[in-house]
Amino acid sequence: MKGWRGLAAGAAALAVAVSGCGTSTNSGSTTETKEITVWLMDGSAPTTLTDALNKEFESANGIKVKYEVQKWTGIQEKLTTALASSTPPDVIELGNTQTASFADQGTLADLTADASQFNGGEWLGGLKDSLTLNGKQYGVPFYAANRTVIYRTDLFQAAGIAKPPTSRAEWIDAINKLKAANASNPDFQALYLPGQSWYFLLSLLWDEGGDVAKQDGGKWTGTLDTAQAKAGFEAYKALYDASAAKKVPADIDEAKPQQMEVFGTGNVGMMVGLPWELAGAVKAKPELKDKTAAFPIPSKKAGSTAPVFLGGSNLAIPAASKNAAAAKKYLSLLSSKKYQEMLAEGGAVPGTSKDTAKLATTPLGKAMAESSQNGKVTPVTPKWAAVEAGQNPLKDALTAYLTGAKSLDQATKDASDAVTKAMS
Amino acid sequence: MTAVKTTETAAPAGEIPPALPPAVTGGARKRRRRGGAFDRALPYLLLAPALIAILWLIGFPVVSVFVTSFRQLNLGELVRGEIVWTGFDNYVTVLKDERFWTVSLRTIVFTVAVVGASVGAGLLIALLMRVLTPWVRVALQIAMLCAWAMPILASTTVYQWMFDQNYGILNKTLVQLGFDSYANYSWFSSGTSTLSVVGLLIVWQAIPFLAFSLYAGLVGIPRDLYEAAGIDGASGWQTFRAVTWPEIRSLLMMVTFLSTLWDFKVFAQIWVFKEGGPSGESTTLAVLQYLEGIAKSHFGVAAAISVLMMLILGLITFQYLRRLLQTEEGKI
Repeated sequence: MKGWRGLAAGAAALAVAVSGCGTSTNSGSTTETKEITVWLMDGSAPTTLTDALNKEFESANGIKVKYEVQKWTGIQEKLTTALASSTPPDVIELGNTQTASFADQGTLADLTADASQFNGGEWLGGLKDSLTLNGKQYGVPFYAANRTVIYRTDLFQAAGIAKPPTSRAEWIDAINKLKAANASNPDFQALYLPGQSWYFLLSLLWDEGGDVAKQDGGKWTGTLDTAQAKAGFEAYKALYDASAAKKVPADIDEAKPQQMEVFGTGNVGMMVGLPWELAGAVKAKPELKDKTAAFPIPSKKAGSTAPVFLGGSNLAIPAASKNAAAAKKYLSLLSSKKYQEMLAEGGAVPGTSKDTAKLATTPLGKAMAESSQNGKVTPVTPKWAAVEAGQNPLKDALTAYLTGAKSLDQATKDASDAVTKAMS
Repeated sequence: MTAVKTTETAAPAGEIPPALPPAVTGGARKRRRRGGAFDRALPYLLLAPALIAILWLIGFPVVSVFVTSFRQLNLGELVRGEIVWTGFDNYVTVLKDERFWTVSLRTIVFTVAVVGASVGAGLLIALLMRVLTPWVRVALQIAMLCAWAMPILASTTVYQWMFDQNYGILNKTLVQLGFDSYANYSWFSSGTSTLSVVGLLIVWQAIPFLAFSLYAGLVGIPRDLYEAAGIDGASGWQTFRAVTWPEIRSLLMMVTFLSTLWDFKVFAQIWVFKEGGPSGESTTLAVLQYLEGIAKSHFGVAAAISVLMMLILGLITFQYLRRLLQTEEGKI
């Protein structure tokens, strides 16, 4: 039955295409704006923030805010249809890896000239990259989160590890100490590291000076077979091999099973995770709350932190919005210090403010704030989606290399070719 | 199929009267004939609205896929509502990609293996049910109904647990039985072994329908035929060949045909297991189509793959379709 998905997609595509034919892009806001529609995503900004923001905006401008919260599931399709319509929402939130493809299709308004209104000088580097296409900015950074090493303070103490590691060598050392101290528990994992944790592989790749792909005259080529990238794979293997006596299978990623559930069993010393994953583990096992902290992913260079993949969201104004002027005012207000601090308080790295003092009040927030300035994103091109959404070559390469099915040279070469092909 | 036929036969039926020599046609006959033509057309006219609705429902998506396969339709064209014709470019792209050929071959081999195994197993169980005492048969039928009623994704998840590398019951059992090399053995380390596990799951899911259908066919064979064969001293195999086989042959052909249709385009199980991995080695045509269409938003290329899938399926089932058309008026 599922084989007919293509059929359905084709039919849907045609239907949308036909209905989209009548679209007229009329952005000249001659009529006075009475109401703007704002779409934010489920779980992005705390309601205390959005309530205050909408109230302030309404009373200051006399424009009503029609605020709608969208679910992440199926958002791509929903945005596609909404943006193709003649009355799209006026402010939308986009995942940072989605932004380039929507910008490329000409569906988002160019905000380059207005950046100063949105605190342009303090934009978070990684997010700014994700919304910049051909030198133009198609959005405003909203918030970001990045991976840190979440660890059990009680187990660290028991194993005699005085302070969190600050280099990769120290980290492996800590892993070995933890393993030795918990040798009696056969299910113990000093570091929970599934074989396909590819966002973490990105950190190691970038730390070694490698990257996934490079652009050369508009053409992208995979660079996973460079010496630096191979060093990143080797670093992954070193950590994977050291991680536990009974290793996690090499062909699963951090989401299957959810690593927070594994961490919640109490048999895990560390995991490379996001804030919500720690929150999930604590929810399952409340006593973990006072026994956990986090440190930034250590670099191979002692004392510095490894680059991290910045996950997060951007805010954008659809090109066909009839209330662009009011939408800009709304974004401007959201970029102000007051609301950025509220975002930080909520546990996210704010997008338009370098001030992360409010975030650094928790150990995890502190670790995240430290490494977020060194945050990077995957290649900013609409073509990246093809790499990530289908059969991710990075995951395949990791599995093949870790299980020994392919040599490092073969695995990275195949992956590099696959990236080149997917992005061509 | 039959719907199309009716409209075709309707046309010549209306053309016959004017072919008559004009000399014989008097005024009275003319009137009668007009009434006759109307009478003959009436049933078709009455059927027309329903027929058009059905044709539109079934035909529109098919036509849409054909049309889409000649268009360049990526996210951009979709959002902007552009129509870009590219002729056979999508087909050239697909056919030039050597991956398409390996995947097609893999899909065909996989389909043949799974259909053969499931129809064979279904037939054996159906034959078994005939000779079982009633309460055992009812127990077996209930068990099969339960397996049948299980949602695809639920049973796929259960299979994933069973074949889990570290905690799966299969590996643990094998180790208990003394096969120590199966400790932490990965059943998904190659495409062949992944597809074998997926195939097993699909066979398991398909057996109930096949067994029930074939059993229904077997029940319809008169008992006295078997008694007569027994009196003639026929062995079990001879009885099967001479009595059972001729009676269920057309039914068996039909379920084989249906199974081929279903197994050729199976997607959910393969995708949920390993997303066509490791390294794309368990990718079938349905998965390839998903990757092109949904993951990469190349709807035109995906539509071309759909059309090619239909062609391949048509070739595989060609023999059956031919017989189906031949025997339309007669048997079946």
